[in-house]
Amino acid sequence: MIPFIQLFSLYVIIHGASGPGGGFQGGVVFGASFILYVVAFDITRGRRRLPESVNTVLSSLGLYIYAGLGLLCIILSSGVAQYLNYGFLPFTAHFEENRALGIELVEMAIGITVMAIMISIFFDLAWKEENRERRGRQGLK
Amino acid sequence: MKGLPTIALILISLLCALFIYVAEDIPVFGDPNSPPIKYVKLFSIGADVLEDPLNWSVIPNNLMDEFEKRGFAGPSRVERVTGMEGEWNAFIPKEEVHYSKEEKYYWIKKEGDQLNVYRYAFVVRWIEKGQQETGTPNMVTYGLADYRGYDTLGETAVIFTAGVCVILLLRRRGKL
Repeated sequence: MIPFIQLFSLYVIIHGASGPGGGFQGGVVFGASFILYVVAFDITRGRRRLPESVNTVLSSLGLYIYAGLGLLCIILSSGVAQYLNYGFLPFTAHFEENRALGIELVEMAIGITVMAIMISIFFDLAWKEENRERRGRQGLK
Repeated sequence: MKGLPTIALILISLLCALFIYVAEDIPVFGDPNSPPIKYVKLFSIGADVLEDPLNWSVIPNNLMDEFEKRGFAGPSRVERVTGMEGEWNAFIPKEEVHYSKEEKYYWIKKEGDQLNVYRYAFVVRWIEKGQQETGTPNMVTYGLADYRGYDTLGETAVIFTAGVCVILLLRRRGKL
C-alpha cells in the first residue's frame, strides 16, 4: 500500500503545474504514507527506516532549495536583483519555460519540507507517548 | 427559562435573514464580469464630444486632464474592444512607474450619455497573461509559486518553524 500512496503523492506534486495539486498537498500525502507505516508496524522500525539525522536534514533541505533558487536568480539576473524570478535560471533558452521549470522545482522543495516536518512532528509526539507508557508500566510493577 | 428556545429561534431566523440579505449583493462565484473581479470605477464624464476621437484611437485632451487631475497616469493608446460598440481599452505606456511593459489598464464604457472610466482589476491581467508569461496552465500554481513566490517562501518557513518548535518542546530525551 505504501508505495502506491507515495507514487500518488509524487503524482500530486508533479501535476501541480497542470492540474489540481501542489507541493503542500503532495508533501502531506507523502508524510501520511510514512505515518501509516509507523502506525501499522512499530515506531522503532519506522525510525530505523528514516533516521533522525536524515529527517532533520530533509526538513531544512526544502527551504534551502527554495531560498537558494531565489538567490541564484539574484546572481544570474546580474544587477537587476529579481529575487525568485525564475526566468533568469539557465535551464533552457526560453524565459517562460525557465519560469515553468522554476515553479516545478519550488513545488518539489515545498513538498520535501512539508513531508519531513510532518514526519518529524509525528515522531516527536509518538516518542513522548511511548516513554510515558513505559514509565507507567514500570510504576505499576 | 421557558421562553429561551423561542428567543433563540427568533434570533437565529433574524440572523439567517441578515445573511440572505447580505448574500444578495455578492456576485456569482467565478463570474468573470462581476465588478470585484473585473474593474474598479474611477469617474464618469460627459460623452458628447469624446466618443468620435476615441473611435479614431485618439485620446481627447479633457479626458487626459481628468486622468491627471485624479493622479492617474494618462493612457498612451486607446483601442476599441473587439466586437463591442461603445467600449474601449486604454493602455498605459512602457516604463510607467511599476510596469516594464505596455499594459491594458483602463476600460472606458459608454452608458447613456456618460462615459464611465474604469480601471481593470489586477485579476484580469493575471488571467489573461499568466499562462503566456509563466508557461504553466494552472492559474493557482503560477499564482502560488511565481507571482507570490515570496509569500510561499514565508509559508514554508512557517511550517519549518512549527516543526522546529515541536522539536524544541518535546524532544528532550529524558531531561526536563
